[in-house]
Amino acid sequence: MRSLSSIIAYASAAAIFFILLISNSSAFCQQKISGVVRSTDNSPVDGATIIVKNSTRNTVSAADGSFSIAAKPGDVLIVSSVGMVEKKVQVNEQSFIIISMTFNVASLEDVVVIGYGTAKKKDLTGAVSSVSAKDFNKGIFSSPDQLIQGKVSGVQIINNNGEPGGAITVKIRGNSALSGTGQPLYVVDGVPLDGRSLQAGNNPLNFLNPADIASIDILKDASATAIYGSRAAYGVVIINTKKGQTGSTKLDVAASAGVSSILKKIRVLNSAEYRDAIKYYAVDPSFDKGANVDAMNEILQTGLQQNYSIAGSGGNENGKYRFSIGFLNQEGIVINTGFIKYSADIATNLKLLKSKKLGLDFHLNSSQYTQDGSAHSTGFGGIIASALTWNPTDSLKNADGSAKIVPGGSVNPLVLSKFLSDNLKVTTLLGSISPYYKFSDWLEYKLLVSINYSSGISRSSKNQALNVYPFFPQTGEATIKHRELITEQITNTLDFNKEIFDDLHLNAVAGYEFMKFVNKGFALRGNGAQPAGFGNYGLDYTNYVQFSDVNGRSISSYIDPSYELKSFFGRTIFNYKDKYLLTATFRADGSTKFGANNEYGYFPSFAFAWNVSKEKIFKIDLINSLKIRAGWGKTGNQEFPPGSSQALYAFQDNGSIIQINSPNPDLKWQADRQYNIGIDFSIFNNRISGTMDYFSKTTTNLLFPSPPIQPAPPASAVRWINLDGEIINKGLEILINGAIIRKEKFTWDLTVNATFLKNNVSGLPGPVYTGNVSGAPVEIIQNGLPMGSFYTRRFLGLDKSTGPTAGFSIYEDNGTFYVVGDPNPKTLLGISSTFRYKKFSLIANLTGNFGQDIYNATLMNLLNVGGIKGRNIALSVYRDPVREDLANPSQSLSSRYIEKGDYLKMSNLTISYAIGDMAKTFKGTNVYITGQNLFLITKYSGFDPEVNIDGNINGIPSFGIDFARYPSSRSIILGISFSL
Amino acid sequence: MKTRRLVFIAFISIVFNCSCKKLTETFGGNLTTSQVASNPANTAALLQGVYQSLQFTFTSHEVIFPLTELTTDAGIAPTRGTDWDDNGILRVLHQHKWDANNIYMSKGFNSLSGTVYAATDILRYNPSAQEKAEARFLRAWAMYWLLDLFDKVPYRDQGESVNQPARVRKGPEALEYIISELNTVMPDLPDGPVFKANRYAAKVLLMKCYLNKAVYANRGNPNPSHDAVDMNKVISFADTVIIKGGFSFSENYFHNFAPGNTTLSRENIFTQLNVAGSTPDNVLHSAWFMVFHYHMNPNGWNGFATLSDFYNKFEAGEKRRGIVYSTLSSPLNPGNRINVGFLAGQQYDLTTDVPLNDRTGIPLIFTPQVKNIETEPNLEVTGIRPLKYFPDFANRYSPDNDFVLFRFSDVLLMKAEAIFRGGTGTDAGSYGDNATSIVNAIRTHPSRNATALSSVTLDNLIDERGRELWWEGWRRQDLIRFGKFLLPFQEKEYQSDPKYLLFPIPAAQLVVNSNLEQNTGY
Repeated sequence: MRSLSSIIAYASAAAIFFILLISNSSAFCQQKISGVVRSTDNSPVDGATIIVKNSTRNTVSAADGSFSIAAKPGDVLIVSSVGMVEKKVQVNEQSFIIISMTFNVASLEDVVVIGYGTAKKKDLTGAVSSVSAKDFNKGIFSSPDQLIQGKVSGVQIINNNGEPGGAITVKIRGNSALSGTGQPLYVVDGVPLDGRSLQAGNNPLNFLNPADIASIDILKDASATAIYGSRAAYGVVIINTKKGQTGSTKLDVAASAGVSSILKKIRVLNSAEYRDAIKYYAVDPSFDKGANVDAMNEILQTGLQQNYSIAGSGGNENGKYRFSIGFLNQEGIVINTGFIKYSADIATNLKLLKSKKLGLDFHLNSSQYTQDGSAHSTGFGGIIASALTWNPTDSLKNADGSAKIVPGGSVNPLVLSKFLSDNLKVTTLLGSISPYYKFSDWLEYKLLVSINYSSGISRSSKNQALNVYPFFPQTGEATIKHRELITEQITNTLDFNKEIFDDLHLNAVAGYEFMKFVNKGFALRGNGAQPAGFGNYGLDYTNYVQFSDVNGRSISSYIDPSYELKSFFGRTIFNYKDKYLLTATFRADGSTKFGANNEYGYFPSFAFAWNVSKEKIFKIDLINSLKIRAGWGKTGNQEFPPGSSQALYAFQDNGSIIQINSPNPDLKWQADRQYNIGIDFSIFNNRISGTMDYFSKTTTNLLFPSPPIQPAPPASAVRWINLDGEIINKGLEILINGAIIRKEKFTWDLTVNATFLKNNVSGLPGPVYTGNVSGAPVEIIQNGLPMGSFYTRRFLGLDKSTGPTAGFSIYEDNGTFYVVGDPNPKTLLGISSTFRYKKFSLIANLTGNFGQDIYNATLMNLLNVGGIKGRNIALSVYRDPVREDLANPSQSLSSRYIEKGDYLKMSNLTISYAIGDMAKTFKGTNVYITGQNLFLITKYSGFDPEVNIDGNINGIPSFGIDFARYPSSRSIILGISFSL
Repeated sequence: MKTRRLVFIAFISIVFNCSCKKLTETFGGNLTTSQVASNPANTAALLQGVYQSLQFTFTSHEVIFPLTELTTDAGIAPTRGTDWDDNGILRVLHQHKWDANNIYMSKGFNSLSGTVYAATDILRYNPSAQEKAEARFLRAWAMYWLLDLFDKVPYRDQGESVNQPARVRKGPEALEYIISELNTVMPDLPDGPVFKANRYAAKVLLMKCYLNKAVYANRGNPNPSHDAVDMNKVISFADTVIIKGGFSFSENYFHNFAPGNTTLSRENIFTQLNVAGSTPDNVLHSAWFMVFHYHMNPNGWNGFATLSDFYNKFEAGEKRRGIVYSTLSSPLNPGNRINVGFLAGQQYDLTTDVPLNDRTGIPLIFTPQVKNIETEPNLEVTGIRPLKYFPDFANRYSPDNDFVLFRFSDVLLMKAEAIFRGGTGTDAGSYGDNATSIVNAIRTHPSRNATALSSVTLDNLIDERGRELWWEGWRRQDLIRFGKFLLPFQEKEYQSDPKYLLFPIPAAQLVVNSNLEQNTGY
C-alpha cells in the first residue's frame, strides 16, 4: 500500500509542478476547432503536428488522431507527420475537421542516417534497420538501447543483469568476438562513442535520456558499416537525438511513475521443507533454528520509479532549437540499490548569412547519474547470494528488529546491506559543433568538432562491523576510484549531390577524420588502523581515508597509451531512374594501436539494389514495391589495448620498474567479410510490408590474447596476436509488418521479426578455453563448434547403489570432457502488436530467444545439497530421486548445471488513452499504463534466462553464464504526456 | 565573393585540422625501451622488479607450493564436500594423476619463466657488475626450478623478440649452463644481505645442482646413482658456507619464519624480502590462510593439511613439531596453546581460550586422519594443519615475514647426505665430519630439542630432511632423489607411473612454442 500511495503522491506532485510551471499563453479570442487526423486507410495518425499558418499556434494529435486548436475561418492548418505527406487544410466555418493524410509509400521517403550522411529508405542498398520514437518500447528505461529491444531482426539485446543501469550485451548478427566485448560501435549524432564504460558491469549508454532519442538506426551488413572501417565489425548503432521543429515554442512534458517487483524467484527450500530436509539428510537437528524466514523477501523491496522530462522546441527556417531536461529515479528491487539520473540536452540548428548558405548545428548533452549498491549486491558474498543461501529457519533480526550478527556464522544479508556501501557517480558531457557551407545546391562542406568527456567516481566501503565474518577486513576498508574517458573528434566531409546525366543521380561523400581517445584514472584504498579501525562514527569510510593504517594502504594511477585514429573515407551512390542503385564505400583507417608494420587498414564495400517494382514489366497491382539488394564489404575491429605493439615498462609501488607486455609489432585489425542479400517488399496496398535478409559473415585475423611465449615479461598475461582461424556467422532475418485491420474505429497492426542464426568456428590452431566458473573454464572455442560451446563432464545422475559411492555424482567415462551445450541462441523472435479502438490503444511486445543453453553457476556454487548444514539449498536438488551424499563434491563443473535457456517474455504491454486537449493548455494529452516484463515463459530455474554474467578468461569473453546475479523486475508504470 | 568564401572555408578547416599530422603513440604513464635506457638509475629499479617477480611464485599457495609439497607424503588438499573441490585440480596432485592442462603447472612454468625474462632483459640496459651478477643469479635460480620441475628451460638472449619461439635447454645441458652461470657471477656477488642474491646463496644453489645431478641426468630413472665427485663438490661448497658464511642456528626454530625474521633468523641464507606495508601484492598471508579454519584468527580458508604418517615422524617433545610462540601483537594465548608448527586436536580462541567450533557447530578438533575426498560428518575438521610462518597480527594486510628460500640447516643436511652418498667427510665448523654427527648437531640443538640418532641411514636421512625442512618446498625433490617419490603413501596407495617424476609442459606453451617438446608420457 505504501507504494501505491507514493505513486499517487508523486504523480500529483508532478502534475502540480508542471501546471505551476506553465504560463498559459494561448488566450486569444479564437474559435476552437477540433478534428481528427487519419491516414488514407482510416487509421488515426498519432503525434501529427498541426500548425496554424502564420501564427505561433500549434498542437499535436493524440493517439486516436484527435486534436483541437484555436483558429478562425480562413486560417490554414499545416499538418505533418513522420512517414506522411504534409497536408495544408483551410479552415472554414466548420468546428470539426477530418484531415486525411496519405502515406509516403511504406514510409520509404523516411530519412535514415547511414553514417556521414543520410539516405532515403527507398534508396538503401544495405541492411539497415531503423526504429523511430513512435515505435519505441514504452516504459521507464535507464538507457536508450532498451527502447529497441526485440524490435530489430538480427539484433540480440540482453540485459546482463536485472539492476537499474546494469550492463547490456548487444550482438548484431551473431557472436564473432574471440576477444573484447563484441559490442557494436555506437554513434550519437555523428559522434562515435569510445565504447568503454567507466566501470565494469555498467552500460555505456546510461548517460543518454531515452526521451531525447528521435530514432535509432542499426547498420547491420558490411556494405552499410564499412564506412566506419576498423571499428565496425560488430555492427553500428546510430542514435539520433531529437532536434528543434519549426513553429512557436512547444513544450513536451512527460511524467511517469511506477513500481517494480521481482519477476521470478529461485525456488529454494522454505522453512518446512528445510526441516524435512534436515531429517532426510540426517544432519544435526540443531540446524533447525525454529523460525520461519524468507530471506529473499527481506532483501527485496517494491522499487519506486519516477521519470520526468520536459522538452521545449521551436524556431523558424533560420534557426531551430530544442532543449530538454530529464530526471529519472529508479529504486532497485533489492534494498539499498538504485539509479538516479539528471540530464539536459540543448540542440540548435542555425542558418546564417543572407544567402542562408552557412549553417551551424550545435549540440550539448550533459548528464550525471549515480548508481548505488550494484557492486555489493551480486556475486560471491553479495547480498543476493547470502539471501539465497540463508537458513530459512533462522531469524534475520533480533527481538528489537535490528539485523542479527552471529560471529563466524552465516553472513546475514541484512547486515551486509547495512555495512557495505558502494556508489558510482558518472558525469558525461557530449558536445559537438558543426558548421557547414553550401557552395551550391549540390555541393556542401561540413565540419564536425566534438568532445565527449565522462568521469566516473566510485566509492565503496566495508564496515569493520563485518569483521566477525570470515573474509572481511578486520578494521574496515575504503576504496575510491576515479576514471576519465575523453574522446575528441574532428570530421570534415564534402557532400556532392547532383543529377549528373539524365536520370542518373550521384550522391557522394568524401571525408577526413581525426580522433583521439584518452583513458586515465587513479585509485586509493585504505584499511582501518590497528586495532581500532575506522571507528563507529556512522560516517562513510570513504570520507576519511587518511584515518587508515599506513601499512594497509594502496594508491595507484594510470593513463593508457595514447590512442589516435586518422581516417579517409568516401561513399558514392549512383541512382539510375530510382530503379538501379549502386553504392560503393571505402575507408582507410590509421591507428596508433596497430603495429608499425600495419599502420593503415583499408575497408571497401559495394552494394547494389534493384527496384523491381519500378520496371514496367513487373508492374503488378498487388505489389506496391519490391526491391532486391545485394552487398559485400570488409570491416574491422581493433578492440585491443593501446600500446600492445611495443614494449612498455610500468612503475610499481615499491620503486621497481617492470615490463608489462609482450609487444607485437605485426598486430593489426581483425577482419570481417560479409555478404548480404535482401528483399524489401510492400504488398496489398501497402497493408503488408517486410524485409528479408540473408547474411554470411566471416571473421578472420582474429584478435586474440594468446598466452605469451615463455620466457615472457612476468606481468604480461597475454600476447596480442592475430590468430589464424575463421568465425562464420550465417543467418536469415525476417521482418513483416501487417496492417491487419483498418477500420475507422478499430485498427490492428502486427509486426513480427525473427532471426535464425548459425555460428561455426574453423581453422584455429588449437582450442581456446573461457567461461570462468569458480576458477576453471566451462566453455571451449574449437573448430567445428559454435563459439563458446559448453565443454565439461557429462553428468549421468547420482549413484543409486548402496555402496560407498552411493549418492555421489556419476560422470560419463569417469569425467571425460564433452561438448554438452551451446550458449548461442538459434532463433531470436520479436512480436509487436498494436490495437487501437477509438481513443484507446493497446501495444504489446513479446521477445524470445530460443535454442541456447545457460550454465547455472548459482545452483552449482550456492544452492547445492552440501549447504543443508546451515545454509539453504535449491528445491530441485532436494527433490532428486536419489539421496545425494553430503560429501559429494557437487561443486564440480558438469552438465548437471546446464539448463535450457529458451524463453518468451511479455516485455512490454501498454494501454493508453488519448484524452486529447485538456483545458486550453494541455494539448495532445495521453495517459497510459505500461507493464514491463508482465510474464516470462521459461523452464530455466534461475531468476531470468536473459542473463550474461562475465566469465572472461584473459579477456576472452564468455557467454551464457549465470551466477548470483541481480534479479529481473516486473514493473507497472503510470504515465502522462502532453504538449503546451 | 567566391574567393572570400573559399578562403573562409579553408581557414576553418586549417584551424580545426592542425592535427593533420603523423599518428604518434605516446605513453603518459609508462616507459618505453629508450626511456628506460636513458637513465642509468633505472637498472636498480629493473633489478628490484626481478626480485619482486619471486614474490608470488614462491610465497603464494598456488604456484610452486602445490607442486612441491601437495604431490608428496607431507601435504594434501582434501576436498571438503563442496569446499576445495576446484574441479579436482588439487586432488590430482596428491594422487599423481595430473595432466598438461593443470593450472598449477602452467602457473609454475609461466611464473618462473617470467623471472628468467626479467633477469635477462635487464642485461641490455648496461647494469653495473654487481647488478648484472645479481640478475644472472636470479635467472639461474629460476632456471634451476624450471629444470627441476619440468626438465625444459626456455630462454632467449637479451633483446630477442618475444614473438619468436624461445630456444630450449634440456636436462644436463641446462644444468651445465646454470652451474657455469653461477661460477661466472660468483666473484661479483655480494656477501649479503640474505634477501639479495649473494655469494652464499649461489654456493647453496650449486650444492643443489651437484646433489641432484644424477637425477637430472636421466629423468625417467626412479633410482638415480650418485657420483662421488659431485658429492665432494657439495661438501666443498658446504664447507665454504659453514666456515665463511657466519650462519648458525636460530635461538628459536620458528624465528626463521616469524614476522621480523629478517633480523630474528641466523639460519636464513636466501630469502624473498617482505616489508610490512610496502611490498606490493604481498601474498605471504597464504601461509596461514591455506591451513587455518574459517573460525581461527586470522580466519583462513580451511584448506591444506598434512598426513598422519608424516606427522608421526616427529618425536613428541621436539620443537620443530610445534610450540607456543608469541609476538608483540599476537593474541595473549592464556591457555598456552600450541600456535605454530603442526596444529592438531582442539583449537582455541587464542584471546579468550574458548574452544572453537566449526561452521556446523561441532568442536574444531583437527584429526590426524584425512582423505582426498572427505566424507561425512567431519568435513571441516580433518587433517593436522602445518603452520610454518607465524601470522603477523600487526600487519595483516602486508605481513613482515620474509619467505625463506635457502636455510643453513639444509646446507648441513646436504653435506651429511653427500658424505653418506660416498663423499669424503670433512670437519668444518663444530658439526663433525660424518653424516651422523652433522645430523645430530641439528637435532639436538635446543631450538629443535630432538634426541640424537644412533646412525644415519637413507631412510632416516630423508625423514630428517622432512622434519627439518617441512613445507619449505623441498619435499618432492628430496623424495625423487631418494627414490621414494613414486612409492605408495597415504591417500595414494599405489606405485605411480615414472612419468610423474616430471611435470608436463603446459599445453598452452606447446601450442605457441614449436621448440618445446612434451615430457615423456604426457
